[in-house]
Amino acid sequence: MATEAVRLDGVTRRFGAMVALHEAWLKVRHGEFLTLLGPSGCGKTTLLNLIAGFLAADGGEIFIEGALVTATPVWQRDIGMVFQNYALFPHMDVARNVAYGLATRGVNKAEAAQRVAEALALVKLTGMAGRRPRELSGGQQQRVALARALVIRPKVLLLDEPFSALDRNLRGAMQVELKEIQQRLGITTIFVTHDQGEALSMSDRVAVMSAGRIHQVGTPEEVYRRPADRFVAGFVGDVNRLPARLLGREGDTAQVAAGACHFTVPAAPLAGLAPGAAVELFLRPEQLAPAPAGGPALLEGVVVARVYQGDRMELHLEAAGVPGRVLLRLPGHAPGVGEHGSHLAVQAQPQPDAMAFPPTT
Amino acid sequence: MRYGLGLRALRLMLRLLVLTILGFVLLPSVVVIIAAFSDRSILAFPPTGFSWRWFARALAYEDFQSGFRNGVIVMAWASSIALVIGSGVAIALHRYSFTGSRLLQAMLLAPLVVPHFTLGLGCLILAAQLGVARTMGLVVATHVVLVLPFVLRSVYVSLRNLDGRLEQAAASLGAPPGRVLWTVTLPLLAPGLAGGWLFAAILSFNEFTASLFVTAQRTQTLPVAMYNYVREYADPTMAALAAIYIAVTALLLLVANRFLGLGRVLAIDHGH
Amino acid sequence: MRGRPFLGWFVAPGVLCALGLAAAMAAVLQYAVRAHIPGSLGVGGFTLENFSGMLRPLYASVFLQTVQLCALTALFSLLAGYPLAHALVHARSAAWKSAVLVIAVTPLFLGEVVRTYSWLTVLGNSGFINGALLWLGLIDSPVQLMFTRFGVVLALVHVTLPVMVIMLAAALSHINADYLRAAMSLGAGPVRGFLTVTLPLSMPGILAGTSTAFAWTFSAFATPQMIGGGRVNMVSNLVYQLGFASFNFPFAASLSVVGLALAAAVLALLRLGTARLERLA
Repeated sequence: MATEAVRLDGVTRRFGAMVALHEAWLKVRHGEFLTLLGPSGCGKTTLLNLIAGFLAADGGEIFIEGALVTATPVWQRDIGMVFQNYALFPHMDVARNVAYGLATRGVNKAEAAQRVAEALALVKLTGMAGRRPRELSGGQQQRVALARALVIRPKVLLLDEPFSALDRNLRGAMQVELKEIQQRLGITTIFVTHDQGEALSMSDRVAVMSAGRIHQVGTPEEVYRRPADRFVAGFVGDVNRLPARLLGREGDTAQVAAGACHFTVPAAPLAGLAPGAAVELFLRPEQLAPAPAGGPALLEGVVVARVYQGDRMELHLEAAGVPGRVLLRLPGHAPGVGEHGSHLAVQAQPQPDAMAFPPTT
Repeated sequence: MRYGLGLRALRLMLRLLVLTILGFVLLPSVVVIIAAFSDRSILAFPPTGFSWRWFARALAYEDFQSGFRNGVIVMAWASSIALVIGSGVAIALHRYSFTGSRLLQAMLLAPLVVPHFTLGLGCLILAAQLGVARTMGLVVATHVVLVLPFVLRSVYVSLRNLDGRLEQAAASLGAPPGRVLWTVTLPLLAPGLAGGWLFAAILSFNEFTASLFVTAQRTQTLPVAMYNYVREYADPTMAALAAIYIAVTALLLLVANRFLGLGRVLAIDHGH
Repeated sequence: MRGRPFLGWFVAPGVLCALGLAAAMAAVLQYAVRAHIPGSLGVGGFTLENFSGMLRPLYASVFLQTVQLCALTALFSLLAGYPLAHALVHARSAAWKSAVLVIAVTPLFLGEVVRTYSWLTVLGNSGFINGALLWLGLIDSPVQLMFTRFGVVLALVHVTLPVMVIMLAAALSHINADYLRAAMSLGAGPVRGFLTVTLPLSMPGILAGTSTAFAWTFSAFATPQMIGGGRVNMVSNLVYQLGFASFNFPFAASLSVVGLALAAAVLALLRLGTARLERLA
């Protein structure tokens, strides 16, 4: 297929003097599960509402399936949307909720009944057709909302933080189920969340947003291992920020030194810095490990907390010259390593995904 | 919005409809204010000249003066007594379950649905049977019954919105119940209490039907005096008084809206 | 009283108040079944004559007229109040919103007498409407608006409109905006969205507003008295006339009792009907 499922060309939206979304350019592929990820107030919900048509753009154009929809009202955009609190009509039973979008489209009763039954079967709610929304559990309400959005076979499925109202255990199960249904139907899906774990585990691609801008669009692995800038590096996953020094540049890569260790990092973020300049080295917690006695150490610190996480052990260190705490994530119980109050020398794993950025002023 | 013509037409029609209804609401106030400045001694449209004399007469008319005084006295007593009674009952209903609580609640809220002429008649007959004259006390007692439901509801709603854990926190810090009530519950209820008092005061000052039954010439409140004036005279004095009434009320409401947010007070602002 | 500190102090004044109210209502009930002694304020023995007297066409027609006026007022108040409440809740500009709010709510605080008198200046034979029509040359002699049911209903709608708007706006503002957004995302335009989502969800407000308007109209006295002028009578006017013109307090009391029962019955029916409607929807 030649065109994208959804395309945004420089879409801008202001609320008074505040720019909620600044010239967003985005292409969503057919059948793709794309997540808009960012902290609250980053513009991700604004972006979703612009695609849905609940907000009008102040600039730029929006296309769905190649057709210009910037000025098309919501009810003619052919979208399916699942709301944060599901927004199931409280005065209708499950079947009428699901059939609502079919009724507005003039689908005849017999066909509508069959499609409603299919949709309810898809979300495993067969037999619940006569219930009222308030008689359902949170997970069941979520399924009805999903069935209601899917039964109209929309061009794109929009999900606005649909799991935020569910408790943790149910959330995990619903995430798997949603992903399964999405893949089975092959429906283009745009998903909004502030939970980076959710974004990484469910998405084909993630668009990381902050302060009204899209910082990076990439696969979960790309945004985690090769963040485009310090915001993405800091927001997606935990990260240690260590003081370091730029040694030199060689093509696409640069060398930096921290403690007694050298690292190869992408050169692009360091453009304009002279060798010898101070930089910040970003290393993930799982890429640090205790250094063997006498070996070269990245840093040395005092263990101030040992946090048991079941499958792993987290060590929090205070180290001279490092603002904040240093976090290590060791597999298993790590018996005998880093007792509370002990000194610990730390080194990096071989070939870590290290990044370096100019220090913040 | 860049949406289609049909939608814009719909919006425009709605706007026109709302403006028409607002015009209907405003019409009598505007007309009565114009009539108040008439220079003739009977109402007539269109007006032929301008004069302030009906305002002078309204302010100097003795029955209006005494009616205003009586109204203020009745209003102050009735709403204050209703506030004390209403908050006590609201706190008791909110906090405890006791025998007859539902009956008490139903009885005290009944004046919301019982017509005022029935209540006025009842108070009048009762007073006659008990041999009580038509004094200010009778008027105040009648008004207390009439405004109590509004105070009760206002305080009860504030209590329900109050976080019960705050009282528990105070108790956990060693405050005995009386101290909790005085230092935590009542200060947090203050807006609800003030709102309830104000609403009761306005209702009491404007109450007419029941007052007509229980007042005598000596104890008549301002609405009763106004009614009696209209029955006897056709000149625009009453229009002048109505104009003053409208101006003062509109001013008060604008101030209230500016500082309190009328929408919030009336519980019609939500989730914006 | 352990665990319920001050309960007695809290409820004693309220109980006293409730007892006073109960005594007043009992007094009305008691008078309703006593004989009237013409020319005296005292009452005679127990009798049911007051109630049989009410079956006379004069009184029966007043009851019928009262219910009709209440129903018409509640209906027109609802029809006029809904657009205002909707504009109030969904207004985009804050200035427009406060304007609608202050204009719609101000009459509530003016009292029945001031409002009704203002309508006299509008509806009277030399009032605003007739003055304007004569001046425009549309009519040759004043149109009779006073002492008509049209005039009374117009003024009564004006009296009940603010409380109707407040109750409808409270109900509308409690409807989560996502319901309408969900309907739109499913293909419903503004009209369909309103009819299938907003309107049914505002039913509690419609019910509350309509019954309150009905009850307020039933209770209204000054408006039918001043604008009806004895030609459009409601139960309240009859009760006052019988009490203060004929001093027949027993008959006035019995009219009150029947009126109260009638109003209660109509309100109960209204509630029942709406509940059934809701279940069918």
